Amino acid sequence: MEDLRFPNWITLAMGVTLVAMPWILPSLTLASEILVLATGALSCTLLLGSVGLLSFGQGLYFGLGAYVSAILIRDFAVGAMAATLAASVAGCLVAALAGLLIVRRQGVYFVMLTLAFAQMGFFLALAFPKLTGGENGFGNVTRTTVAFEQLPLSNPLLLYGFLALLCFGAFAFVQRIIASPFGSVLNAIRHNDSRAEALGYDVRRFKLAAITIAGGIAALSGAMNTLLLSFVPLSAIDVESSERLLIASLIGGVGSPLGAFIGAAVLSAMSDFLSPIWPRWSTIVAVLLIVTVLFLRDGLLGLGRILRRRPKDALNG
Amino acid sequence: MSAQVLTFGALNGVGIGMIYFILSVGLTMIFGLMQFVNFAHGAFYMVSAYAAFAVAQWTGSVLPALLISPLLAAIFALVSERVLLQRTYNLPHESQILITFALAILAQESMTMIFGTLGKNVPVPEVFSGVVILGGFVYPSYRLFVVGVAAAVAVSMWVAIERTRFGAVVRAAAENPEMVGLLGFDSRKVFMAAFAFGGALAGLAGALAAPLRGVEPLMGREALAIAFVVVILGGLGSFSGALLAALLIGITQSLMSMIWPGGAHLMIYGVMTVILAFRPAGLMGRA
Repeated sequence: MEDLRFPNWITLAMGVTLVAMPWILPSLTLASEILVLATGALSCTLLLGSVGLLSFGQGLYFGLGAYVSAILIRDFAVGAMAATLAASVAGCLVAALAGLLIVRRQGVYFVMLTLAFAQMGFFLALAFPKLTGGENGFGNVTRTTVAFEQLPLSNPLLLYGFLALLCFGAFAFVQRIIASPFGSVLNAIRHNDSRAEALGYDVRRFKLAAITIAGGIAALSGAMNTLLLSFVPLSAIDVESSERLLIASLIGGVGSPLGAFIGAAVLSAMSDFLSPIWPRWSTIVAVLLIVTVLFLRDGLLGLGRILRRRPKDALNG
Repeated sequence: MSAQVLTFGALNGVGIGMIYFILSVGLTMIFGLMQFVNFAHGAFYMVSAYAAFAVAQWTGSVLPALLISPLLAAIFALVSERVLLQRTYNLPHESQILITFALAILAQESMTMIFGTLGKNVPVPEVFSGVVILGGFVYPSYRLFVVGVAAAVAVSMWVAIERTRFGAVVRAAAENPEMVGLLGFDSRKVFMAAFAFGGALAGLAGALAAPLRGVEPLMGREALAIAFVVVILGGLGSFSGALLAALLIGITQSLMSMIWPGGAHLMIYGVMTVILAFRPAGLMGRA
């Protein structure tokens, strides 16, 4: 059994790693990319690891957060911190709305609906090019200052520090949720939702709460992505963006928030090193995913705990 | 907009909707039997569309692909079932979804490796390159052919499932695979056959769609999302629901592309959201 207290040694180790990363990794950009992806993957970890909800649609909130923060910063001269906060709130709101429609359907419908809503977000962004820049993307988002205009984010190291702070905040928040009584209820729902229902918990409301929080976290990582790139590509909101967040959380292991970070680090490093050599490097990711599901059920931070729950024969389902 | 243009749009929508129906009905069938959502279904469609492109290149006509593509998709489905999927039957449904999802990525990357990232056009078969005049309407005959093929598939599927012995076994295996096994049927073989057949249907949809929309690596993702919408609206396991939902979104897409081309695909999902808000269980679904 993993140490579920908060804060625990993992919290500390995570903090130390985030401080050390710029000096260990070959480039500051790679380190910053890991932060963005890790934060986004945390939203999938929270959903799949805690409540057992498999979402193929977190990219919708990632893209939403990216666009909201970009529009606020460029067109309304809002500061980076306020824009990031606003993006997270927007992510929560949209996730709550979509969640209201989604939690009414059970089981496999959930997976299909998350993907369908993500696809809807993509076509929304495509259909309103005046707002989002359409296929050309949303450019010229200047990196503003934070901390009462004392720290300019145009300095890459300060930007890294700011992103690291946000990532650490999201990490500690997810750890705290999992350790809380609310987290225990989510865990009970994952193990057996009808039994949780029988115990008197309103399963739908707990699921909705988890979906809302996960939407906010994904939107936060979208806003972080905007700060990092100074630009929002249309690909921020496509289905592939959803898949990236999910894959990062899966290969790291959804049993713990640490898995999101490890998965993000592995995936970002692969992207950085492999994509210049072999554009079709996603093939390796797919193989890695198959290996993780079939053989590494206990590896890469306890993905197995999720995949082995309900060991009932699928043929009898 | 005149009534004539509207009718033309609606007719086109029926053609698109029929392809969506063939695409989705395989997904519904696989789910009905095996209780998991096949994320590689869009990949079956995409690979078959590429096969249709290759056949059209070699033979000069896409028509042989209507047989070759489904066959290829069935083989692809069978091999992936034997090599990968059967290892996951004792795991929860998430692992089957994730394995088929990884398979879809592999298929997409392989097609990109072979054919490149850019889309390709597939010529309409020469026999159907003309137009048909239907009581004052000029209608491309290939689209009429698509509607005909889809209708034939729908009818023969209904007959096969409702009226034959094999159909009865399939229906029984969906209800209670253990009991079917006890009666002496090999339910694994039924699953394999159903998985291959579902793949073949996606393959037929891909071959039919190739001359209408061309082929590109990302078409599988798009098709998967559309099949999901059809199944969400029609209800998993429901053939009539799938037909109704597929026609609805096909017509929506076709009519919207005349009014607001940029939002044609968006409206598919808009319709889905509105219907879900008022009928959470879908069009034909039981709550």
